[in-house]
Amino acid sequence: MRTRITLLLLALLLVAVPASAQQLFDFLGQAVVPGIPGGMLNMDSIVNDPAPGTTPIPLDFANYEYTMVITNLQLISGDGTSASPQNYANGTLTIFEDNGTAADYANPATFSDGTAILIGTITTLNRTMFTATLGSAAGWVDWVGGTHLDDIAPVDQLGWPFLTGISARSTVIEPGYDEQWDGKCEPEEPIVDVEEMSWGSVKALLR
Amino acid sequence: MKKTIPFMALALVVAFAMPAFGQASAIDYYGYAWETGGFPPSNPGDTMIFTGVGVAADPVFGVDFGVEELTFYMYDLVSTGEVPIGGGTVMINYTGGYLEIYRDGAMNADWGIAPPNPTSPSTFVDGILYFQGSFNSMTVFLDAAGYGSYEGTLDGLGGTMIDDVCTGCVYTWGGNFTPDTGAQIPDGYDLQVDGVFEIEEAVSTENTSWGSVKALFN
Repeated sequence: MRTRITLLLLALLLVAVPASAQQLFDFLGQAVVPGIPGGMLNMDSIVNDPAPGTTPIPLDFANYEYTMVITNLQLISGDGTSASPQNYANGTLTIFEDNGTAADYANPATFSDGTAILIGTITTLNRTMFTATLGSAAGWVDWVGGTHLDDIAPVDQLGWPFLTGISARSTVIEPGYDEQWDGKCEPEEPIVDVEEMSWGSVKALLR
Repeated sequence: MKKTIPFMALALVVAFAMPAFGQASAIDYYGYAWETGGFPPSNPGDTMIFTGVGVAADPVFGVDFGVEELTFYMYDLVSTGEVPIGGGTVMINYTGGYLEIYRDGAMNADWGIAPPNPTSPSTFVDGILYFQGSFNSMTVFLDAAGYGSYEGTLDGLGGTMIDDVCTGCVYTWGGNFTPDTGAQIPDGYDLQVDGVFEIEEAVSTENTSWGSVKALFN
């Protein structure tokens, strides 16, 4: 019995060793921002390989393009100034995997095609503009769906920070959009892959 | 002959005034920064240092991230201290400072912990100097929750980018940062930084002799 407990503890240690590299979904995109409460914020962006950091779940950047899209994030209150940051809630954040159509800001639909590998709810987001053209936004995401949701342990699926810088200079804004958003969505601590293994295989590791 | 000269003059105007890029060309980067004395607060005389990596670049830069990395080293930015601007937000202006970007086939960037350390900044300043610039301005805005944004402009001093991509350009450095709560930051660094390096208003100029100009149309 004592041996089994020891083996179990050793197995947990082996499987639960945290990753050392920083984990993040790094994105660069364009947002449409509402003018009055009740309006919806939407964003289209491309997810880049953050090497030498890593993405929180394995992504195949060599063969696929990954896009991150915000839809229907509702402006609740605020005018966006430092004295009155805008408060948003209840939007959807989706990461798509696609090897068909290249993302093109002239055709926003190219950002939301492919397979939705992660679908999240943006529970809250605050957007502040420090000047007329420079600002930032910070919010929280709960992952609730997508084909790769199970790659994240349930305990790690909630409460991911979403953080972005905002530039509204005309030279960086694509037609049809209001702002450039450059940021990341990441777990607060590195998460680890879950690997299913038979008890026999675990014991074999320790022989 | 009289018709030829106005035509050539018009052609020259078109040739030399055409922007090199239709819009700002950019390199997306992220990394980690620290300030002597810690951050926040940013006290007068504190110095900001940043090491980072590029994760995407416009095709004009010709960077293949599969075989090389772009690394960033920002240093010698001296804080003038925090100035409250309302709503719990402070503004910090920096003086001096340089930014260097390297192309490195070794792909060995490593932040380590407790910078400066044996790998940071050393693994961010190896390779070929792609860009070196001096800051004309650098301003940081920090909100009450510890999040913020920054923006600055640089003069290009050297590096192969200036020769290969654009001379006489305006270089802009901007992005956001996140404190050690809510972000994964290596021990000893103060901030996670994520931003974009841009070349703006890229109108190239090139000095040439009149003979050389005429030769273009012969």
